[in-house]
Amino acid sequence: MTYRPILAVIEREIVRLFRQKSRLLSAMVRPMIWLFVIGAGFDAMLGQGGGSGGDGASYQYFLVPGVLGMSMLFGAMLAALATVYDKESGVMRMLVVAPFEHYWIVVAKTLSAAIAAAIQAVLVLILLALLGYLSKDLSPPLLVAGIAATSLASASTGMLIAACTKTLDNFAVMMNLVIFPMFFLSGSLYPIQHLPDALRIVAMINPYSYGVDLLKHALPVSGSVNFSTDFSLGLNLAVLLGFSALATAIACARFSRETAYEPLIHMLSRKRGE
Amino acid sequence: MMRDSPALATALAIRARELTKRYGDMLAVDHLNLDVHAGEFFGLLGPNGSGKTSTIHMLSTLIRPTGGTAHIAGHDVSNDGVKVRAAIGVVFQESALDRNLSAAENLRFAGLLYDLPRAEIKRRSDELLALFGLTDRRDKPVASFSGGMRRALDIARGVIHRPQVLFLDEPTIGLDLPNRKKIWRFIENLRAETGMTVFLTTHYLEEASECDRVAFIKSGRIVQSGPPHELVRRLGAFVIEIEADDTDRIAAELAPRLGHAMMDGERICFRFNGDAAQLAALQTEFADRIGALRWRKPNLNDVFLWVNETSADCESPAHTPSRDATLQR
Repeated sequence: MTYRPILAVIEREIVRLFRQKSRLLSAMVRPMIWLFVIGAGFDAMLGQGGGSGGDGASYQYFLVPGVLGMSMLFGAMLAALATVYDKESGVMRMLVVAPFEHYWIVVAKTLSAAIAAAIQAVLVLILLALLGYLSKDLSPPLLVAGIAATSLASASTGMLIAACTKTLDNFAVMMNLVIFPMFFLSGSLYPIQHLPDALRIVAMINPYSYGVDLLKHALPVSGSVNFSTDFSLGLNLAVLLGFSALATAIACARFSRETAYEPLIHMLSRKRGE
Repeated sequence: MMRDSPALATALAIRARELTKRYGDMLAVDHLNLDVHAGEFFGLLGPNGSGKTSTIHMLSTLIRPTGGTAHIAGHDVSNDGVKVRAAIGVVFQESALDRNLSAAENLRFAGLLYDLPRAEIKRRSDELLALFGLTDRRDKPVASFSGGMRRALDIARGVIHRPQVLFLDEPTIGLDLPNRKKIWRFIENLRAETGMTVFLTTHYLEEASECDRVAFIKSGRIVQSGPPHELVRRLGAFVIEIEADDTDRIAAELAPRLGHAMMDGERICFRFNGDAAQLAALQTEFADRIGALRWRKPNLNDVFLWVNETSADCESPAHTPSRDATLQR
């Protein structure tokens, strides 16, 4: 397969992203709600104007990498899970009769979901910069790496789920049982090192934690010990890229095994009485 | 004619040998043999659930045969899926379009999937939109299209890469008569312009009479095949329809003379090869026991009804005399 079909899938995803205004708007608003409602609320509760870190750092600033990551987690997962809509709506039919091996569909979809997520992250980043929430110590190369790796890992998680799901009857289930837990148990809202043992172990298994941590490296909260990072840079990158490769490989295998797709074809045709 | 030879295999657009698909206990397609020549307009006809769609899905590599082989333009559907898919276009029963994209965007997406250069896609899209009467809708989102326009665009989508073989699975299903006629005119134009092989399934039989050749499929088996006019001719010179209260007795009484009867509620139908005098005699003989007796020329619909009726009988040995009309191989 050459590059044109992959570009076609990516192009469609971007066109859809900008055409679905409500999707784009909620991608912008969601992180801001967490930053301003939860962040400001906790600050007020914990330390009256910026003492919640115990060393003068504001909880709101601690939340910045987390809400930036959130835009990617939600953006990538929703784009990847839309593959299930494609299965139902017909675009998947166009893809499965096209002349390339079916695992390319997974690769193209993963890339397009990651790119859609990265675009949303950049928009949120611009918003954060305008609002003055970006750390002066931010590291541009680490930020680029963090956005790329976190988008990719979130997209491959979403594709893995999409490849194993036949209908979207359980979309809300996905949202509540996968996306939210991944967000809550990731170090986005609290430093992992302060979590109770059970939660800490879950957070360390959650690949998304390493994305948030990488973003914390890129956007350090100046002068805070309690709000420092949990893992090393190398570990973060290794886990994110390793997990992305593994998840994509499993999704590819699952998808190109035609028997996995067959019940769907059968179901679609039987629905019409044939 | 049915023996395999490599030369024949490449000259054929579609060749299936003992093609079989089993879902659990259900045999959806049962040892199907099929030859479609390059450029042919072929119709696979049969009732719902007879195996038409399963056959198309196997031939287009979307599902894997349980047994047997099939070749499209010389490529094996089981081992060479990518080459098969490059040679075919598929228009599914259900739309394969993105409703959020415009007509032109859908065609561009489809063209890129076939690795066509953008300039070429633009040229072919304009041609196809003109051919299918959609030029003024080119930048409108598909969501705003009527069923007929959507179907037309779906067919354009299926042929943008100029496939050697086009599969059309019930292309006119769910459309009203004017739109069905339009779709057929498009397909005719397309065949005239490109000479591509078209493999069609439908249960609107009057539409299949335009095919070069049709095959009737029933419970996954081909029960009759040939050029439509030939099948109609073979059925008989006339179809007699008799309306009566006591249909069972009259059917039984006439069976030795007219052969197997097709029961249709209050009506009995026979195939009839005699002349007008015999018909008149029949009419006189039964005048006081029947409501009406009519005769007419048979059509493809009758072939279909008889295939269904008589092949159902094949399953019960009591009616074996009717088999001669249905068995081809």
